[in-house]
Amino acid sequence: MNWFKVMTLTMALIVNAAIAEVAVIVHPSNAVSLDQSEITRLFTGRGATFNNGNKATPFNLAESAPARAHFDSKVLGKSSSQMKAYWSKLVFTGKGTPPKELASDAEVKAAVAADANAIGYIDAAAVDASVKVVGKF
Amino acid sequence: MKKTWLAAWVAIACCATNVAAEVSINGFASIKAGKAASGDTLYGYTDDIDFKNESLFALQVQSDLGEKLSVTAQIMARGANDFDAEFEWAFLTYQLTDEWRLNAGRLRTPFYKYSDFRDVGYAYDWLRTPQSVYDLGFNTIEGVSLYHSSNFSEMQSNLQLVFGAYDGEVAVVGTVSPAKINDIVGATWELSQDWLSVRLAYLMGDVSIQASSLNPLLAGLTNIGLGSVAQAIDFNEDDGSFFGFGLNYDRNDWLMVAEYTHVKVEDSFYANQDSYYLSLGRRFGAFTPYVSYEKDEDDAKPDIYAALPANFPLRPTIAAIVNTQWFDNTTWNLGLRYDFHPAAALKLEFSTAKDKLSDNKDSLMAVGVDLVF
Repeated sequence: MNWFKVMTLTMALIVNAAIAEVAVIVHPSNAVSLDQSEITRLFTGRGATFNNGNKATPFNLAESAPARAHFDSKVLGKSSSQMKAYWSKLVFTGKGTPPKELASDAEVKAAVAADANAIGYIDAAAVDASVKVVGKF
Repeated sequence: MKKTWLAAWVAIACCATNVAAEVSINGFASIKAGKAASGDTLYGYTDDIDFKNESLFALQVQSDLGEKLSVTAQIMARGANDFDAEFEWAFLTYQLTDEWRLNAGRLRTPFYKYSDFRDVGYAYDWLRTPQSVYDLGFNTIEGVSLYHSSNFSEMQSNLQLVFGAYDGEVAVVGTVSPAKINDIVGATWELSQDWLSVRLAYLMGDVSIQASSLNPLLAGLTNIGLGSVAQAIDFNEDDGSFFGFGLNYDRNDWLMVAEYTHVKVEDSFYANQDSYYLSLGRRFGAFTPYVSYEKDEDDAKPDIYAALPANFPLRPTIAAIVNTQWFDNTTWNLGLRYDFHPAAALKLEFSTAKDKLSDNKDSLMAVGVDLVF
């Protein structure tokens, strides 16, 4: 296999994996409005409540899900490796626990639809009426 | 005895979780190999390739007992210690409020910016933390730690107060000796925003070391009425203090880290130590090359023997011991982190350390993989 082929295949994989937009979602009853820095706060463990004082339970996507890398880079401004390094600093020093990870957009959507305190993100194309979108990135 | 007690405690914690709550098991590992240049020695390596010296494996069990209480134990096996497993951390955490948290048990002494996670290589870019600064020992303390974290606008403040004691060993004039630091009181404060963070640390405690290699000399001095000289040399409840300042910049893929520390132990022959490092790196996707400069400068205390008569028979012995403390060392490191896998990083680092007093130079090439799981 020559280098050109390898490159083309790699590019094809990246393009297949890429998604256009992620939608940050909450329960339909949650009236909160969130900006990027507040979303970052919740997904980096620097805050545990929405800006209205209600408890927030973030759900992360597993690294295998395409929307994860997109969310890490577009919203948190970090690569998935950097986020893993960030969390290992907290986990191995007893200072924090990362958000629970779910395997797919469908699982995150179901978890958010079932929990008034939940916040998650999925591929914007997978959004339906069971959840409310608070931001697209 | 301590180990058995801790093991029992962890066993209880693990069983309790069968009844109540979630247990999470995490771990990290580093497999590192190094080889010094011909005839050189550095960081425990010689010119024979070695895979053991800096390799380590660790498992962490954390159990959330509910009602804001959790218990964490971290067991680590270090190659340098023949992979004998030891409890590095074992503590309970009580979340007092959203902002205040209490940890109690065996904790990491929060001297340096990377003290808490210096063994978790995956968490930073270097192959190892800069040794000119990260060289104090006394890594763990038994005690309590109170954390306060708060956000105001885009800034985050983390304050840590620590109280406790160290009971372990330290090498004095080449002999490993029992060491204690009692009444440790310290505070660290880190203020950070998106790309910049500043950290201050101050700790103090009463240092006592039973240095068997010094005992004959100290007894001899005391016997001939020079107890004050003996006291100026020994470590007997002497005031130790540590000051640290750290700076971290991470913006547009440029990375800068710097730390300065000052350590002293009053009324002992232990030198006043000043050390710092400055590290610069640049992220290119999965590759992060970096270069760092370290300096360690220790001032011995010749005043201890300066007043003694020139023909006093023990003077040369005292002078020799005191003068072992002079130190002036600079180190350059050139390295690369490569994130080749979602949970593992490959690292390469070339280090060259120069002892300016003897003009001796030691160089080392090391390669390693850091993982988290």
